[in-house]
Amino acid sequence: MTTTEAAQVEWAAQVHDATKRYGKGDSTVMALNGVTVGFQKGRFTAIMGPSGSGKSTLMQCAAGLDQLTSGRAFIGSAELGRLSEKQLTLLRREKVGFVFQQFNLLPTLTAGENIAFPLRLAKRRPDKAWMDQVVQTVGLADRLDHKPSELSGGQQQRVAVARALVERPEIIFADEPTGNLDTHSSGEILSFMQTAVRDLGQTVVMVTHDPGAASYADRVLFLTDGRLTGEVMAPTVDSVLAAMRQTVA
Amino acid sequence: MLRLALSNLRANWTRFLATAAAVVVGVAFLAAGLMLTDAVRVSLLGSVEQQYAGVDLAVTTAGEFANLGDAGESVSPLGADSLALVRAVPGVVAAAPVTTAEVRVLKPDGEAVSLRTQGRPWIVDDELNPLTLDSGRAPTAGGEVVVDRATADRAGLRTGSTVVLETPLGERTAKVVGISSFGRSAAVDPGGTVSFFENEAALVLGGGRVSWSQILVRTAGGGAPVTQSLQQVLPPLAQVVTAEDVVEREQRVLNTFVDVLRPVLTGFAFLSLFVCAFVIFNTFSVVVTQRFRELALVRAVGGTPAQVRRSLMVEGVLVGLVASAVGLVAGAALSVGLQALLSRFDVPLPGAGVKVTTGTVVMGLVVGTLVTVASVAVPAFRAGRTKPVEAMRSSAFDRSGTSKVRLVLGGAALAAAVGVLLGAKAGALPKALLGGGTLFMFTALVVGGPLLARVFSKLLSFPMRAFGLTGRLAADNCARNPKRTATTANALVIGLFLVTLVTVSGTAVKSWAVSRLNTLSGSDYIVSSRSGIPDDVVAKIGTTKGVEGSAGVRSVVLRPDGGSPFIVSTTDFEQLARTSGVKVATGSLDTVANGDGVAIIDQQELLKNLLGDATGQDLAGTGDPSADPGATIDLGGTTTKVGDQVEVPALDGSPVVLTVAATLKAKLDALTLGNLVGPSTFARVAGEQPVRFVFVRTDPSQTEQVGLRLEQLTRSYTTIDVQPGNFVGQFVGQALDFLINAVNALLAMSLLVALIGIVNTMTLSIIERRQELGMVRALGMTRGQVGTMVALESVLLGTLGTLVGVGTGLFLGWVLVGSLGQGISLNVDWGRIGLIALAGVAVGALASLLPTRRATRVRVLEAMQPT
Repeated sequence: MTTTEAAQVEWAAQVHDATKRYGKGDSTVMALNGVTVGFQKGRFTAIMGPSGSGKSTLMQCAAGLDQLTSGRAFIGSAELGRLSEKQLTLLRREKVGFVFQQFNLLPTLTAGENIAFPLRLAKRRPDKAWMDQVVQTVGLADRLDHKPSELSGGQQQRVAVARALVERPEIIFADEPTGNLDTHSSGEILSFMQTAVRDLGQTVVMVTHDPGAASYADRVLFLTDGRLTGEVMAPTVDSVLAAMRQTVA
Repeated sequence: MLRLALSNLRANWTRFLATAAAVVVGVAFLAAGLMLTDAVRVSLLGSVEQQYAGVDLAVTTAGEFANLGDAGESVSPLGADSLALVRAVPGVVAAAPVTTAEVRVLKPDGEAVSLRTQGRPWIVDDELNPLTLDSGRAPTAGGEVVVDRATADRAGLRTGSTVVLETPLGERTAKVVGISSFGRSAAVDPGGTVSFFENEAALVLGGGRVSWSQILVRTAGGGAPVTQSLQQVLPPLAQVVTAEDVVEREQRVLNTFVDVLRPVLTGFAFLSLFVCAFVIFNTFSVVVTQRFRELALVRAVGGTPAQVRRSLMVEGVLVGLVASAVGLVAGAALSVGLQALLSRFDVPLPGAGVKVTTGTVVMGLVVGTLVTVASVAVPAFRAGRTKPVEAMRSSAFDRSGTSKVRLVLGGAALAAAVGVLLGAKAGALPKALLGGGTLFMFTALVVGGPLLARVFSKLLSFPMRAFGLTGRLAADNCARNPKRTATTANALVIGLFLVTLVTVSGTAVKSWAVSRLNTLSGSDYIVSSRSGIPDDVVAKIGTTKGVEGSAGVRSVVLRPDGGSPFIVSTTDFEQLARTSGVKVATGSLDTVANGDGVAIIDQQELLKNLLGDATGQDLAGTGDPSADPGATIDLGGTTTKVGDQVEVPALDGSPVVLTVAATLKAKLDALTLGNLVGPSTFARVAGEQPVRFVFVRTDPSQTEQVGLRLEQLTRSYTTIDVQPGNFVGQFVGQALDFLINAVNALLAMSLLVALIGIVNTMTLSIIERRQELGMVRALGMTRGQVGTMVALESVLLGTLGTLVGVGTGLFLGWVLVGSLGQGISLNVDWGRIGLIALAGVAVGALASLLPTRRATRVRVLEAMQPT
């Protein structure tokens, strides 16, 4: 079940023997209970599981937004537990991209400014050619001057994806990126992420509970009660549904 | 709904804390003002009653009770002979003379305990004496004194100690023979009391002449016959009244003092409550917005709009009541603190402690609650319109922008107000419109505030770009909700607007008045004393090195029964011409100096000099700066010419008719003299009187040194002042400065409320934006960057309020001063305006501390958790 046997594989992010405990005494909840997993570079991984399975916790800990109770987490070669709050922030700024379910964009900035936001935080100039390519890919060229409130939900998520891509991070974490979208917009967003991985060589980890969304990934991991309970390579909607039935049973 | 309101308060109490803070501060100011004035009033009135507890009758000066027991400028006809006469009247069991004058008790290091200590004669009769001895005995000879226990403590004195005193007669050494108390407090006089042996008090406190302000009488019973026999033996200007009358009349005067103090203090409290209303309105609006979903849920499960509204109103009432109650307690603490502060600066208020009346409590609760409820009404009404489906939506932002209507209305009102004010200034419109225009302008600022907020935020976003992305975001956030930004800034605008206006127009009026007055001064120095300058001191002034001439003026202010004060004076006419600016306009001083002529001032010319031609006519007869406020000097009418006859009331009450022999040019010195007569006429009118001021002419090359020498000469005489010839100008300048500063200090209260307002708005909008803040943190914004962003937003808010407030204040100051005409120029002290502006921006910076702390603590994960 583990994926560490291939020595020549390059890892964008990994967690080793990760546990995450919430609360104390009787009300203790083990959100993660000894999880070891790696996310290979240039791959699109989906994490699935029922509510409370720990899938969001796994993503947050792997992305350096939260800290493990025990175990180790890496982004590239950097061990997150050894970094200070400031170093973690700078790491997120430079090496990690995020797409959230909602509240992705700053309402006062235009779409273009939102895309360049992480770069401007780091006082870096956007790479013009790359920026154009990303904008082209997500199809926002004519919308860059609009404020988020003037964009549809799908367009807003496309802006968020573009923002995650533009800084060319080691890895992009997406937390239910299609949770608030209709089927058509969902399909678009998922295709963009797929394109980003296959054509632009990016790495994406996506948390979802939608088998349809998971089927866009190269690999699907299943989490139940804080443990890894299954894996499907080259998933389809059917194979994901089958695996879900199996893990729940 | 009451239960819902209560549970809401419990659940959201931290949010209401913000609202409550504003109410608490406003009510505290109000309550402190009321409690302080009540305490002063009760203590003053109580001490008057206590002071006259054993008194049956009192002999006082007829007419006004203006001297109130202190050796004021009015000369009392009660001398040593009067006291003897009173004591000889059958039925009089005991009679005690009263007079007071400043006395300074020096500590071993040579510093005075207080500049407000009063000297009084010790009253031998136990029942007449309001003081009691804690230890020691009464003074029985000259050189013995009794001091009150507080002064004794502060100066380290005990029975048997030797003490150095400064008195109207100069420095004296005395032996402390007793320590006194006044009821439960230490002394009758807030600054302490030194009691002298009667005979010594007569001379020392009167500056060498016996002059009692009152004689207290205890009778064997049956006041009426004694009153009659007293009246028969005393001079006509002396009046015999019952103790009740004295108490009642003194209390009336004291009440007037409190009646002036009270509206001033409460007026400023109400202003700060008005500012509070903005803050409460804002805070509640934000709270309601944040609870949109919750309110929608209430609607979804079947709550009617009226029920939602009522529930919020009940919350408002409860918050208002509780906060007002806390405010009352805070007010009590504030008034105690204020008293302590004042007494540290040697301005002890009579009556320590807090006086809580039902009126104060009711007023505080009612006003505090009303302000809260009124401020809550609009957000509550808006909340009633919440649609049930809002409960299903994920987020609710108060995105209310600037509506077109508001934009047009606000812009038009602002333009109209400016137009009216400019028109009135230029004289095209009647000046009466100035008041209306000011009010109009203010309304326009409130209505058009959001518009201004948006424009200013956009303008300020350019300099903010110097701070990079964080500066840009801060400016954006400010412009995000112009209505809220404007309401928050308005609290600051009101305070700064008034401070700037008062400073600008006050300073302009001051420099104009001072320069006018300075053109009227004549002599180099004026040495003066209310109780009279001892003759040896007058002589020493004349022989001081560098003095080329000195004219000692004997003068009295007579107060004929029911009439206006009337100054009569005399001096050495040859010296007068040399030392003062007194010049003859018409006639000659010859018959004045040697006969029964009188020289008067042409009042019309004086007013013309003081106020200029135009207003001189309007203001004719309304008074002059050296007389008591509100009183007019009757100089025999403004049309009096040489040869006319004027009637002067003599000190013994009989009228003396004099012929006008000269009119004097309207200089201040002439004004100080009043009606100038020859020595023989003066003796006929006023008897023997001390020199009350000396005009001094110096060697021009050592004017300054002479001033220092005169100060040195008179240092230990408590009542003698040495003032430069232009002292009226200086005095008026200082008085206006004091007024400007006092008003500004009180206005600073509203800045405090504005500070709370900015803290509230910022904190609440941080709570509102916490997911957004979490998101930017996830994207790599450091804590420092988030902190800078929030701090800059707060500073921007402060700057916005400052620009509008100071700008409006400057503009209105310019309009008001300009419309006064008379060549009053607007000399804006830009340094001072800069300081005011700095204070406004500092309020913004200070207000950012709490919200910044809060914003930097927003956890990254919050961005990912849907609410």
